[in-house]
Amino acid sequence: MPTVHDWINNPLAVVDGLFAQSNSSPDWEKKVVEYFKEKLKLNDAHTWVPSLNDVPLYYLKPNSLVKFRCMVQDMFDPEFFMGVYETNDLTSNSKQVKCGKYKDITVGGVDFNSRNTVTSERQTFYCVPIPGESQWAKEISFIWCTSQARVVPSTSYVPNRHKRSYEEDDEMDTQPQHDVDMWGRPKRQETEAPSHDSSSAHCTSSLDLNFPLPGEKGPACLVKVYEDWDGFKLNDMLEVFGILSVDPALSVIADEREASSLLDPTEVTETVEEQRVHSPPPSLVPRLHMLYAQPLVHNNPLLPSSAPENNGDHLSSVLGELASVRAELHTYLTHVLMGDSLAAEYLILHLISNVYSRRDVLPLGKFTLNLSGCPHSSPYTEHLYKVIQQLVPSSYRLCMSLHNMNNQRMVPRKDYTANRLVSGTLQLANNTSLFLDETQLEQGQLDATGVRNITALGNLISWQKVDYDFNYHQMEFPCNINVLITSEGRSLLPSDSQVNLRPTLNPPNLEEYLSAVQVAQVPSQFNKYRIYLSGARALNYTISDEITKAVEEDFVEMRKDDPQSMSAEDLHRLLVVARLLSLSHGQNTLSRDGWMKAKQLEALRISRTQQQKSLSGNEP
Amino acid sequence: ITKMDLMEQGANPNAGQTIKDELAGKCQKLFQAFLEEFQNSDGEVKYLRDAEELIRPERNTLVVSFTDLEGFNQELATAIQEEFYRLYPFLCRAVRNFARDHGEVPISKEFYVAFQDLPTRHKIRELTVVKVGSLVRISGQVVRTHPVHPELVSGTFLCLDCQGVIKDVEQQFKYTQPSICRNPVCNNRRRFLLDTNKSKFIDFQKVRVQETQAELPRGSIPRSLEVILRAEAVESAQAGDKCDFIGSLIVVPDVSQLSTPGVRAESSSRTAGVQGYENEGLRGLKALGVRELSYKLAFLACHVAPTNPRFGGKEIRDEEQSAESIKKQMTVQEWEKVFEMSQDKNLYHNLCTSLFPTIHGNDEVKRGILLMLFGGVPKTTMEGTSLRGDINVCVVGDPSTAKSQFLKHVEEFSPRAVYTSGKASSAAGLTAAVVRDEESHEFVIEAGALMLADNGVCCIDEFDKMEMRDQVAIHEAMEQQTISITKAGVKATLNARTSILAAANPVGGRYDRSKSLKQNINLTAPIMSRFDLFFILVDDCNEVTDYAIARRIVDLHSRIENSVERVYSLDEIRRYLLFARQFKPKISKESEEFIVEQYKRLRQRDGSGVTKSAWRITVRQLESLIRLSESMARMHCCDEVQPKHVKEAFRLLNKSIIRVETPDINLDQEEEEAMEEEEDDNQMNGHDAPNGVNGDVNGEVNGHEHTNGINGHGVNGESAKPSLRLSFAEYKRISNLLVLHLRRAEEAEDETALTKSEVVNWYLKEIESEIDSEMELINKKAMIEKIIYRLVHYDYILIELTQSGLKGSAESSGTESQEKDVTLVCFAYIVLSCFVKCCQSVMSM
Repeated sequence: MPTVHDWINNPLAVVDGLFAQSNSSPDWEKKVVEYFKEKLKLNDAHTWVPSLNDVPLYYLKPNSLVKFRCMVQDMFDPEFFMGVYETNDLTSNSKQVKCGKYKDITVGGVDFNSRNTVTSERQTFYCVPIPGESQWAKEISFIWCTSQARVVPSTSYVPNRHKRSYEEDDEMDTQPQHDVDMWGRPKRQETEAPSHDSSSAHCTSSLDLNFPLPGEKGPACLVKVYEDWDGFKLNDMLEVFGILSVDPALSVIADEREASSLLDPTEVTETVEEQRVHSPPPSLVPRLHMLYAQPLVHNNPLLPSSAPENNGDHLSSVLGELASVRAELHTYLTHVLMGDSLAAEYLILHLISNVYSRRDVLPLGKFTLNLSGCPHSSPYTEHLYKVIQQLVPSSYRLCMSLHNMNNQRMVPRKDYTANRLVSGTLQLANNTSLFLDETQLEQGQLDATGVRNITALGNLISWQKVDYDFNYHQMEFPCNINVLITSEGRSLLPSDSQVNLRPTLNPPNLEEYLSAVQVAQVPSQFNKYRIYLSGARALNYTISDEITKAVEEDFVEMRKDDPQSMSAEDLHRLLVVARLLSLSHGQNTLSRDGWMKAKQLEALRISRTQQQKSLSGNEP
Repeated sequence: ITKMDLMEQGANPNAGQTIKDELAGKCQKLFQAFLEEFQNSDGEVKYLRDAEELIRPERNTLVVSFTDLEGFNQELATAIQEEFYRLYPFLCRAVRNFARDHGEVPISKEFYVAFQDLPTRHKIRELTVVKVGSLVRISGQVVRTHPVHPELVSGTFLCLDCQGVIKDVEQQFKYTQPSICRNPVCNNRRRFLLDTNKSKFIDFQKVRVQETQAELPRGSIPRSLEVILRAEAVESAQAGDKCDFIGSLIVVPDVSQLSTPGVRAESSSRTAGVQGYENEGLRGLKALGVRELSYKLAFLACHVAPTNPRFGGKEIRDEEQSAESIKKQMTVQEWEKVFEMSQDKNLYHNLCTSLFPTIHGNDEVKRGILLMLFGGVPKTTMEGTSLRGDINVCVVGDPSTAKSQFLKHVEEFSPRAVYTSGKASSAAGLTAAVVRDEESHEFVIEAGALMLADNGVCCIDEFDKMEMRDQVAIHEAMEQQTISITKAGVKATLNARTSILAAANPVGGRYDRSKSLKQNINLTAPIMSRFDLFFILVDDCNEVTDYAIARRIVDLHSRIENSVERVYSLDEIRRYLLFARQFKPKISKESEEFIVEQYKRLRQRDGSGVTKSAWRITVRQLESLIRLSESMARMHCCDEVQPKHVKEAFRLLNKSIIRVETPDINLDQEEEEAMEEEEDDNQMNGHDAPNGVNGDVNGEVNGHEHTNGINGHGVNGESAKPSLRLSFAEYKRISNLLVLHLRRAEEAEDETALTKSEVVNWYLKEIESEIDSEMELINKKAMIEKIIYRLVHYDYILIELTQSGLKGSAESSGTESQEKDVTLVCFAYIVLSCFVKCCQSVMSM
């Protein structure tokens, strides 16, 4: 076996080999990238590569090939390095031309006057684990990795959690609540990230790893990119395959630089703050020299990571009977929503919504749901969030308490002193579920931060963008985040659709009732739901000319009867509902029937809202 | 001394020039020849005077235009551009020689060269390895500046062993001792003392610049770059500025590299001292020669200038710029596009569709907003009153008629635009309160004080829902172009030169066609009057439009590809806008007449009561008409407002005022409405008639009906009594005086207005010193009365308010004779120069 995995254990040898063969022709660089791409393609070879997400850093061999599932949190300035350099061994007086790519440091005397030196450029990205990734997604991707390969190559690390294969992990979800405590923190210690191990615990306090969400764990990484870096965007989800560089000399060099720059202000080096950010100790923030990166459309480990050709057939083949999965999910959510089947229907539509396109400033496909009528005092919303956490690969619950609104940093901000983008809770990867809990709000004063935060949330919902604060100006970053607002009355934030919760059940003990609902689910069902939700969201969708015409005529007809009841905005929403409804049934195209159903659904919802209004006696 | 160029080692494999650089020597000679010989158009040696200036102790940098150099010696220019970093010390030497030849400068004084006018500009992103060492121009936003401090450029050392003096040890960003004492018998390599008195220093400053937004690929973090400024370039950039830097990209060796064996320059003793405290592990690593493979980048700038029209920053309003300077800042392609656009016969239409590609119909609104973006020309009267050029637009409409979309588009498009909502979720204030509605359990946000950006567009959604205090602030911003903030008892007035684009919902949710605009929206008359254009969007129940709307929306959802059809890209429009806004069109004679003509027409129709317009036609509309005409002219990059511009401006104004035709309603109602509106007019002038609400106003209706008679009268007065004739300039002067006086009085005192006799007396008192006899006094009095008469009835600058309080035109005609009872009110916040123009044309008729 060892020879087979040489490209994993010692990738630099492969790089050096290809470099030596090249005879200084520049296409060796391409060959290296091709070589590793080919290797990774071979029958699930990529699953053999150990993952930084799962394996603690100290178990990983330096300079070996590792992978990292992450989000690009910041992009640093490019740096120049010696792509090719010549060493001069003074003792033997022999010269040797070496390749400097995929390396941070070199050992031995470098001949700076060599004519063979080639200066190259690379780009550094600061990457963090995908914010808000659900525990189940983390665990499954770990199992995926270990169960398929059955070995963790090149490490001596044997995880002390149960090795379970994906097929036999039925009991995993039996009691989902027991995996996390009240705050969503995992209870099981072994799932903790290495940075919280005792060995490095003292460092964490002094170094802010800049995770977007509070309480996040896991390694952050400086990813060095050598090719096509302009193709990567901020907040992209990536699976990076690269060479791990953790040489302690790196931090020594950094320390030394820090010491000297303190003494000599004329040095054209970075400030102390910058160094701390840009050259953190590799034991905390390892360097990863990228060989290949797979952009992730989603981070659901149950689905293939890239699905360019997605249609309903594929999904059905995975799920068997799509209709039954949908029905089961609907029943489950109805129970969770205390018997409100309409709200369950809208929740499904919300969960599969996705900004599929932008027309000018208008994001298309978003479907922000405001679930009003949620009980104010009980921990109901907390339980509801847990249910959603079980269904989606990444999510975050934002309690809209006054304290949070006034104190939390939501919008990322550029810190020019340390020269980095200080993250905020709204720096989230695509398709993250953002659960805004307005039931936690109370009356009071919003200060400047609070107003900015509310404005940011409003912009996020209406335009699916976040304006990052660059001090001298703001910069707009488009996003694709599913926002669900739970509130008592209608939310103060805008939403695409408001459903007033109407429980048909009134369980005496809400908590017991909800855990009973959870337990009643056959655990394997959860994975089906997860595949269904992620899959349905990625489906293609079209509207035929015939239906287009029918819809247009219908609109004109409806306005003839009662122009007040049907505005352009209503049509807009109706089309979104129709789209999501069709997709939720695995249909790629809108049918007449689908259109009628969407209309019925909307009519039901609106009548409920109007009843609510007349009940409270409030004017719109 | 051998100059060890550490900087270039990494980048340029041929950099190890230890022997005399022949090319450099040649360039130095050629450059000196250029300085000696290059003449400007007057035949003077251009740089001689500048070089002589360098005698002054605080000066040391000669700024040379690169264009001059190119014109003089293309080969030299190319060499300098390509090998700038290598040649730089030699060019500086040439400057030194040149300065020494033409003035008494101290021998030890160092001189520097700075280039300006480098034609090509590079993006920060384009600074790759190949650019290292060459002369480039970049522009960026300064995000951080460090303090200036002296940098050692050339050190004089004392050998502590043999006491020998080692002069001119070159320093490069790094304290560098001589590697070995020059005394051949002394082998000292470490013990040196720097003689600061004999060493040379230079001012040195680091700043950090960041890629401008315009250069940034979407979705990326802007890159930044450390810029090193020296000599006279220090302190020329402040954080927040957008500047152009001319210089070269350099690779900075880091300390670790320098302190490794094998590198010639010795590390500083201070750094070495630190090593004493370091642990064994580090020494161990060092001994192995561990080093990083990466370099740091920096930009060594010799010349800094503010980026002129602030291109990258999307700044479209910079009134100090000229069209020519903007043109200079553009690349050839950009300029060609702008030119092509200015020649576009269909420009008006194409701009509208390109700006709002996803909004169906509503062409007039699009045009109005477009003209708002171009803006009118701000003016200052001789009295120092500044008059806004900004055009304010209000869109009133039924819910879901794309109002917000218009606002959002403008916010997206224009720099420094602020989007805010009159209520709730997107409160733009500094603070806000969360309030709970006890009935519905809904939370509502009550916005705090509104913030307005200077020099931008303020988009206000749900304008009618806006708090009263904000409305007042907006009102001030719209007219005075300032905003007042009272905090801790101190009142501060800030500039707020902004155009307002507001959207308002009709009272009761739907626009009621049977009512006037005023009755349909919940805005006070003073605020309403500050809008140049009102557009009313009615959710028409009309099959044709319904189909069109349906098609547009379904289209939006059914087509996958993200294609928005635009004739021009937003960036192209931005550039065009920037360019066009530099024009300050003057009103041509023809147009002037035309404006007067159209204005009279509007008023006539208004007076005749044929069409029921949204509001009274006042001088404000005249102002608007002028602004809109100027804006039209700007859009076509014309220096002159032509009648065709006025025509379109008039058409739009006309549409905006009389968009909604009122169906027949009974006469009584109309009368009531007329009354109401007359009252509004009254309020509009910020003045209550002395009798309070019942005070009757002789609005323009009356004035108009009498126009003919008065006209004759005025002419008669002038022709029959030649003694009362006065030059136009005089007339203008006196009327300005009167208007200003009235305005001041109005501002000072809201309660009581001046009566006509008071005004006359005031005026006579003003000119008291000029009056010698009683006869003259009487003449002057007659004259001033005539002038007031003319101002009231002919130019509609002033209005007479009678105190008798009688309604109807029949009665009010009688008031004409009761001149003593008349109260004078300055009718408008008028563009005095416009008014003058109108008078001029009237007089010339």
